[in-house]
Amino acid sequence: MVPDGAGLHQLGGWTVIGLLVLFFGSTFMMTLFIGRKKENADGYMTAGNKVGFGISAGSMTATWIWASSMYASATSGYTYGISGPIHYGLWGALMILFIYPFGKRIRAVAPKAHTLAEVMYARHGKSSQLMLAGSNIVGSMVSITSNFIAGGALISLLSPFSFTQGILFIGGGILLYSLWSGFRASVLTDAIQVFAMLGAVVIIIPVVFFAAGGTDMLVTGASKLTPQQSNFFSSEAFLNQGAPYIAAVLAYAIGNQTIAQRLFAVREDLIKKTFITATVGYGATIIGIGMLGVMALYAGVAPLDGDTNNLIPQMAATYLSPVLLGIFLIMIIGALSSTADSDLSAMSSIMMADIYGQNIAKKGEANPKTMLFVGRITMIVATGAGLYFASGKLNILDLLVFVGALWGALVFPVIASFYWQKVTNKAFTVSVLVALAFFLPIRFEWIPMTGATGIIVDVLSVIGIGVVLGLMAFGFFGLKTAKIVAGVAMVAAAPFAIGFLHGYTVLSGSLVAYAVSTLVCYFMCFSNNATFDFDSIKKRIGDFDDRAEADHTDSGSLLEKKA
Amino acid sequence: MSVFFLTLYILIWPVIVAGVLYVLGKAFIQEIRAAKREGRPLI
Repeated sequence: MVPDGAGLHQLGGWTVIGLLVLFFGSTFMMTLFIGRKKENADGYMTAGNKVGFGISAGSMTATWIWASSMYASATSGYTYGISGPIHYGLWGALMILFIYPFGKRIRAVAPKAHTLAEVMYARHGKSSQLMLAGSNIVGSMVSITSNFIAGGALISLLSPFSFTQGILFIGGGILLYSLWSGFRASVLTDAIQVFAMLGAVVIIIPVVFFAAGGTDMLVTGASKLTPQQSNFFSSEAFLNQGAPYIAAVLAYAIGNQTIAQRLFAVREDLIKKTFITATVGYGATIIGIGMLGVMALYAGVAPLDGDTNNLIPQMAATYLSPVLLGIFLIMIIGALSSTADSDLSAMSSIMMADIYGQNIAKKGEANPKTMLFVGRITMIVATGAGLYFASGKLNILDLLVFVGALWGALVFPVIASFYWQKVTNKAFTVSVLVALAFFLPIRFEWIPMTGATGIIVDVLSVIGIGVVLGLMAFGFFGLKTAKIVAGVAMVAAAPFAIGFLHGYTVLSGSLVAYAVSTLVCYFMCFSNNATFDFDSIKKRIGDFDDRAEADHTDSGSLLEKKA
Repeated sequence: MSVFFLTLYILIWPVIVAGVLYVLGKAFIQEIRAAKREGRPLI
């Protein structure tokens, strides 16, 4: 432990190397226990569709907790005060909760699917499939880049190593344990990493609280907060942080292949239990970590270099002992690894099932060995691309908000495709493209939001509010309740939103994307006579690999071969 | 918000996380035992 000159403490170079070798080495050893000499292609993508509750809930929790979400929650607490972490963590948690009723329907329609895009192919055709697969790939690339940046920044802040050395350690370590067994390695190591992460959270938050002064800090620091920051029902926090995230709840859930992959992997009767547990686990962890930002606000801590992403490492380096600082490093490395390995398996599944399996190989003739090769090459290329983008230090959270809105344009067409026979491939494709054409000029303010333009944007945003809340209600309570919720939400929001909401371009852009894709899709479909037999999907989507999936011994354990 | 409730608000989250850890840990151990008993791979 050596001072770094900025009043913080660093871990020594060999200590950091030891911790990284311990973390990635033990994770790699774990994958040797489940690795097979001849992996099954379907197992590589969904682990045989029968993963148990403990592993799948642990994996879902670990996947959704990523380093950037920890940093963003603390930033929200520091910026918006005591309600900030709630407005980040609660809505992020609801992304997991609100997907499960739709997930049960998707799983019933396509029990042996590997990706959501694959189901879109069976339901509509190539253009819908590739739009969804493309947005999934972009989202996962943004996510993996963000995690590499978070890891590199943390290592450069807490050790003598540079940012570039940090991202190389992280990228190499994750690829090492993910490459051979794919999703099976990801889901098992996630379940183990979640114990390290959650265990660290349980220890670190109270330790920092009392080390920073405990209740005395809250008494003396109260004067440092603005009235909005000390208000639990802060309108500023809701409009700037909460509302855009509520709008993104369904978008992230639908647009993220890492969630879909776990929906297809978990035993079908355990979907509800798994996703509710992951909701609570994610929410409590991320809101709890966000409290470090609130504590920094009360303690009067100024973020290093003015960058609020430095707040969490700064609080840790200021208030934790060397041993706890090591545990903190493992917590962040665990958070970013568990998400990055999930993104790697998500991208490899899309390339295996959607690109090779359904668009390159002849129908019914996909070669499982070629498929596995495609999956592994995808992981290597994606890691290389992630390291390249990370070295450019792009503003990831801005990119993520942008991707979230892109996914927003897909939400209604995707969900409707699983319930409504009349949705056609043409309606799906056109509605998404038109929604994007509306979203881009609003989000990036290419046109002035004055006069009639502002009012039109506000009216569409109000419809977007109805769509978002209506779809949320539809998942749990059905169509009748959804219509009532949507109607009440629009009537209630209109007096406040019209003439006002266009000033918040992130929020209104996202809501307009929802509204336009819904309106276009609905009006292109409601009068047609198209019918669709949903039972036909399960006949068209099945296993690519008929080699033994469940028989561990036949396929040769890697560990047995090495012994 | 009073200091008491603010303290409770900050420290309640690690307690909830500990509860989730217990549930996940218990389920994970049960799955390992079931896999051993039935002679099948864990995943």
